Amino acid sequence: MSVDFLHPGETVAIDKSVPALEMRGIGKRFPGVVALDNVDLTLEPGKIHALMGENGAGKSTLIKIMAGVYGKDAGTVRLRGREADIKSPRDSLKEGIKVVFQEIALIAEFSVAENIFLEGYPTGKGGSIDWKKIRADAAALFKRIGFNVDPAARTGSLPVSQQQMVEIARALAHEARVVVMDEPTSSLTPNEVSLLFTVIRRLAALGIAVLYVSHKLDEVFEIADTVTVLRDGRHVSTRPIGEHTNDTLIQDMIGRRIENLFPRKRGAPGSKVALSVEGLSTAKKLKDVSFEAHAGEVLGFFGLMGAGRTELAKAIVGYDPITSGTIAVDGSRLLPHDTHTGVRLGIGLLTEDRKSEGLMGELPVYQNASLASLSAFARMGFVDKASERKAVQDYVDRFRIRTPSLFQQVKNLSGGNQQKVLISRWLMRGLKVIVVDEPTRGIDVGAKSEIFALIDRLAGEGLAVVMMTSEMPELLGLADRIAVICEGRLTAIMPRDKATQENILNAAIG
Amino acid sequence: MDMSELTQSSAPSRFIGGQLLGSSQLVLGVILAVLCIAISIAAPQFYSEANIIAILRQCALVLIVASGMTMLIITAEVDLSVGASLAFVGCIGMAVLNSTHSLTLGLLAALAFSGAVGLFNGLVVTRLKVNSLIATIGTMMMLQGGVYLFTREAVQNHHRLASFTDLGAGYIGAIPLPVVIAALIFALAAATLRFTTLGRYLYAVGANERAVRLSGVRSERLKLFAFVVTGLCVGVAGMILSSLMNAGQPTAGRGFELTVIAAVILGGTSLLGGRGSLLGTLLGVLVLKVIDNGIIILGWNQDLQMVVPGIVIILATYLDIVRNRANVG
Repeated sequence: MSVDFLHPGETVAIDKSVPALEMRGIGKRFPGVVALDNVDLTLEPGKIHALMGENGAGKSTLIKIMAGVYGKDAGTVRLRGREADIKSPRDSLKEGIKVVFQEIALIAEFSVAENIFLEGYPTGKGGSIDWKKIRADAAALFKRIGFNVDPAARTGSLPVSQQQMVEIARALAHEARVVVMDEPTSSLTPNEVSLLFTVIRRLAALGIAVLYVSHKLDEVFEIADTVTVLRDGRHVSTRPIGEHTNDTLIQDMIGRRIENLFPRKRGAPGSKVALSVEGLSTAKKLKDVSFEAHAGEVLGFFGLMGAGRTELAKAIVGYDPITSGTIAVDGSRLLPHDTHTGVRLGIGLLTEDRKSEGLMGELPVYQNASLASLSAFARMGFVDKASERKAVQDYVDRFRIRTPSLFQQVKNLSGGNQQKVLISRWLMRGLKVIVVDEPTRGIDVGAKSEIFALIDRLAGEGLAVVMMTSEMPELLGLADRIAVICEGRLTAIMPRDKATQENILNAAIG
Repeated sequence: MDMSELTQSSAPSRFIGGQLLGSSQLVLGVILAVLCIAISIAAPQFYSEANIIAILRQCALVLIVASGMTMLIITAEVDLSVGASLAFVGCIGMAVLNSTHSLTLGLLAALAFSGAVGLFNGLVVTRLKVNSLIATIGTMMMLQGGVYLFTREAVQNHHRLASFTDLGAGYIGAIPLPVVIAALIFALAAATLRFTTLGRYLYAVGANERAVRLSGVRSERLKLFAFVVTGLCVGVAGMILSSLMNAGQPTAGRGFELTVIAAVILGGTSLLGGRGSLLGTLLGVLVLKVIDNGIIILGWNQDLQMVVPGIVIILATYLDIVRNRANVG
């Protein structure tokens, strides 16, 4: 591979009249499923094109076809006007397509520079690797995208945001004409996101066609020139971003209108204190956090990534140890590190990490739903399965949990339906305080409003809902009061009507 | 998607038939049937009453310990010390019998010792958070050495208690007593796993321990329970073994843990936890012991008693993967 073009400031001659990538009539079937059906996509050089759609819409299948991970069953791919036959990831790279997947594909133990030139190290005399040149070339690449990473750093020691930059630098090293970013902001802080956007705009300015895959509306409005929406494996629309509003994009994605994302049916919160936390500190993060949550209210906690939201959630339900402070549920003291007593007193956590802390993926839906309340269905230690299943069926009907049967393994359900199963788990147990941590993470737009409605309903039934979130709309749409944490400290607590984006963000930055 | 209801092999499903057909137990049942038919064609005496009773008797010890081990593996832990514990228990039980001449006290001593071994394993795993594979290898080495500190040679039967001899050699009707004991323990364990809240929690803790803990269930106690039950099963099996040998043998039980774990895994219980059944374990034990018996009846080289089960385990697991793949497609 040639790396001679890598001089800072050099521009790549790109013909802007020919599309960088043209996919026509792409079809892909998996056993029992049509993943893509006659999908078109055209990427122009120097433009940022967003690809949107719910989970299962076909976004990842489409980019995996570009990346050569999957073969296509139908359709044609043209690169710069020429038909291309991409059979493997290697072909894809050779044709100038670089896909930056969510799971970063770098070797953690190697240096940044080594990773960039993984596919072909420049060699010096006698075939030995020219380490000096590798470092210098890597540094030059970073300069071109306007980002500073030490080429000698061990890749695994860098945060995800910088590893993404390494991937982007790799794209330049391969003379990529098309760069695909797959949900790149899912684990970035707001600062890192704005840096990433600067770099992406820079790529476009270099004449590269960028495909930005995301389901976050605000990001797409900020960065994209054009949006293509897929739904159920079909192409729905391709329009300039200026022709879209929030509502039209959502409508394209879910195929129907959402009247109101945050329906509020509950009344005003009560004044009874359901949860009281005083002077709570943990070894690693939290410092002297005190607050009260009332029956019937949604108390929203906002914080940037790493502020301590999840730590707080896990400490107050008695999952993690604390170093000082008291927690009282409905007036009774809860000692740390004792979820058994916590649940008995009536506090439970709806985890942000459904897969590793919430679901028993291999087990059927009904067993997942009844986990916390199993003893209520027991006679002398034996499970009364009929009444258990009847109770679960009740929740499946009421919450419209879409599952073929109660016996379906819960891992096969969609994120939204899994979340409803976990909410059912707590409602069947009967709680006074529910702590919900990032309740809509990994959940489709359409299902989000259902989860919001459920949270509204929980508060309406008299529970105190403590909601941890990093999503501003969710916070403003649902909470009665808003608390902000920054680096483990509570920096503000205010009623909803006094809160604005500005004062929340100010408190979050500290 | 409807298919997966039939194929889910986890936990109790609606019909016993559904569970049988839907899991690796189908493959295993077929293997067992083929084995039985093939051996009886080659050697008709395989189907004699005496031989069937002999096979069941050989199954008894493995099935007793495998009943506890199935529960333990369902919680995603494992105990490799059962073989070493089995030998030690026999020596201790016999020594107590010799000095007290009381079968009850001998049995209690055996159960107390093996239960304590289980408790020790459980505490090391749940409190010190040592991986159970490593923790129980440590226990195994301690017991293998410890038994020689206790006695350098076999503890002989000096008490001549008839009731002790019956433990291994007695009959209830036409059925050997060890088989009856194994059947009772098996039934108790199977009912616990299938019908009780305890059983459901055991599956749950293996499927996702953190989720169980967040649901207010004390997951450490569940694991501790499974370790102790496994230990107690070893106590029962150890006494039956010493009765059969009429001595407490410090060298007994070498490799026994592998036979037990092989039977459990062969029966479709996942080492990752959360999946498995005792019915499968029963079939696993039967397959291994029918192979043993067949090799003897056919007059083959006895060393094949190790080789053939090794092949069967790999083959059965592979067939299970193939079957799962076919169902997905």
